[in-house]
Amino acid sequence: MAGGGGNDVQWCFSQVKGAIDDDVAEADIISTVEFNHSGELLATGDKGGRVVIFQQEPENKSQPQCRGEYNVYSTFQSHEPEFDYLKSLEIEEKINKIRWLPQKNAAQFLLSTNDKTIKLWKISERDKRPEGYNLKEEDGRYRDPTTVTTLRVPVFRPMDLMVEASPRRVFANAHTYHINSISVNSDYETYLSADDLRVNLWHLEITDRSFNIVDIKPANMEELTEVITAAEFHPNQCNTFVYSSSKGTIRLCDMRASALCDKHSKLFEEPEDPSNRSFFSEIISSISDVKFSHNGRYMMTRDYLSVKIWDLNMESRPVETYQVHEYLRSKLCSLYENDCIFDKFECCWNGNDSVVMTGSYNNFFRMFDRGQKKDVTLEASRESSKPRAVLKPRKVCGGGKRKKDEISVDSLDFNKKILHTAWHPQENIIAVATTNNLYIFQDKLN
Amino acid sequence: SLRYMLGRGVKRKLSDYDESMAAGLPGPFDSSPALPYPQQRQLVLNMCLRKLQSCCLKVEPSLHRSVLLSNTLRQIQGEMLNEDCNTSPLAVQSDRNAYSVDTSPYIGGNPPATPAHIPDLPPLPLYSQAEEANLMTMPSDNGMSSTVSSHVRVSGFMKDMSPPPAFPSWAENEELDFFSSSSSSSEDEGNDHPAGSRSLDSLFGSFEIPNSTSYLTDLAFDDIFEDIDTSMYDSSDFTSVLSFTAPRSSVSPSEDSLKPFSTCSSLSTNGIQICVTDLNDLDHIMEILVES
Repeated sequence: MAGGGGNDVQWCFSQVKGAIDDDVAEADIISTVEFNHSGELLATGDKGGRVVIFQQEPENKSQPQCRGEYNVYSTFQSHEPEFDYLKSLEIEEKINKIRWLPQKNAAQFLLSTNDKTIKLWKISERDKRPEGYNLKEEDGRYRDPTTVTTLRVPVFRPMDLMVEASPRRVFANAHTYHINSISVNSDYETYLSADDLRVNLWHLEITDRSFNIVDIKPANMEELTEVITAAEFHPNQCNTFVYSSSKGTIRLCDMRASALCDKHSKLFEEPEDPSNRSFFSEIISSISDVKFSHNGRYMMTRDYLSVKIWDLNMESRPVETYQVHEYLRSKLCSLYENDCIFDKFECCWNGNDSVVMTGSYNNFFRMFDRGQKKDVTLEASRESSKPRAVLKPRKVCGGGKRKKDEISVDSLDFNKKILHTAWHPQENIIAVATTNNLYIFQDKLN
Repeated sequence: SLRYMLGRGVKRKLSDYDESMAAGLPGPFDSSPALPYPQQRQLVLNMCLRKLQSCCLKVEPSLHRSVLLSNTLRQIQGEMLNEDCNTSPLAVQSDRNAYSVDTSPYIGGNPPATPAHIPDLPPLPLYSQAEEANLMTMPSDNGMSSTVSSHVRVSGFMKDMSPPPAFPSWAENEELDFFSSSSSSSEDEGNDHPAGSRSLDSLFGSFEIPNSTSYLTDLAFDDIFEDIDTSMYDSSDFTSVLSFTAPRSSVSPSEDSLKPFSTCSSLSTNGIQICVTDLNDLDHIMEILVES
């Protein structure tokens, strides 16, 4: 599994974050994971509306074989639970997505969103503070002006590093339905937000209005059969974005064509395989995530059972298809019964677009090497959590005779699902979120 | 613990879901692939209905999930309807192994030969908060009626074989009395859809603020303010709703009409407990307060 070069990569455990006990607090469930553009920062959002940012320690010169560890850099409450009085419904504070802005100055900026509201957060460091005020004592009390006999210029003195997060913009009241995606444009001035039926375009500086660029709401809601599931801007072309649907289609739109992009420029859809048809065909074709490759030539989609790579120049079918857990195809009814069939798995590319990764059940996650046509199944578990321990590939036995070290389908734990994964933009470092733990793995450096 | 076994009519308990998720997949469907196609389809239909009805959340139900469920339901219903119309071509099919391109989407299924068993529809479930909200803001809204009519529709759909609808027909008529063209979908002003086809409104309607324009023109001025209350959680909302529905129905409201209200009102609404049985006391107290 190469990140570059032809050697097989061996993945090692690096760190795990989060509580150890099996009793998971609902608020601690991780709902999104995202590296920033340099990979130095790793942000997670959880169901309790909190954002935790980890920062990578600078490499230790005396231990060049170890990459820096990620330690907590900042924690803040991004969203609070709200109440919609008009509909008498709660609005969950769960963070659906986090997207980093590229760094322009000393501060870092990220967008975080729940179902209804997007917020722009500024994370800045403070390591100096002014001392020597004329009118205030060191503890802040005001001095009696009559006792001041001399004047001095306050000076900055070093202090313990303090990381502050402050909300700079709140983008609210633009979505009737649940926001599923946000994506920053390559112009670094605008971004899009998508809910079940609409996609809106925002300017980062302007919070009191947004442009609706896609609207698939039918005039009669009775006729609704399809919803938007994900949307993303093209990494290089600031006029291009895609959105995926619950029917397994992806539409590519050009904002130069018209103000309302209801008419797509391209429609990507693979014809259904009639031999695989079942009651659940539509449900499993629903796309849960769409991601452009870093070079902008491809996009990847995730549906319930597979990962597909599409060439943006070919709409008729994907150029590559990878089966994530085909052994579940004969179990679809049970998965429908326990609602697992509605799970939304995400997917991600590595830095040079040669490998893709996605999660599965039983805390398994899968990697597909596009160049070498190899795939591997790994597990994020406390058992294989010794420092620098190499992860052993796992294998699921679909039916028939189970070999040693294989796991049979019926003993998979469907409560343990890996929905969110992220890959460092340059290095072979990955972040994998189980229900309430964040695992960091890296490739073995010799 | 009881497991859902087709043919035995015993339903799986909710606690079993957790067990099955942790321990694997003991689903009857998947573990006995030799189930004949009609039973497989029936099983899926039952699950579909159960899931659509169980949206009792304090949060808005997921539109994505509702759409997928209703599409599946539609597909199955469409198939069953086709079978009603065309029993002969399907009965002729004798190929047990082949995937049938035309009407049997399930691989390996036997051609359906007998009319499907229609399940007894469960009693009107606890309301989703969304529908409660609709009741509070627009007492004549389709909150209850549409769920009722969704049952009516589904059972009526298979009316040749089904048991009589679980709800009195006045519920359907009542909906027509209240409002002629208003619906929970705000852009839907011109469409007078039949009272029976409201099943999706109850799922999708929670997202829309009901269009009050047609509602306002239909009612007399006084009627408008009879029900709209400035306090969202004033218990008088329930009394006004209950009293509002009562006189309108041609049949005096039976226990059936009040039962769902008492069921839903005993739900904890974000910490506010309102019990129908307490309303009389509350009324009394209010009278005393107002008069003093």
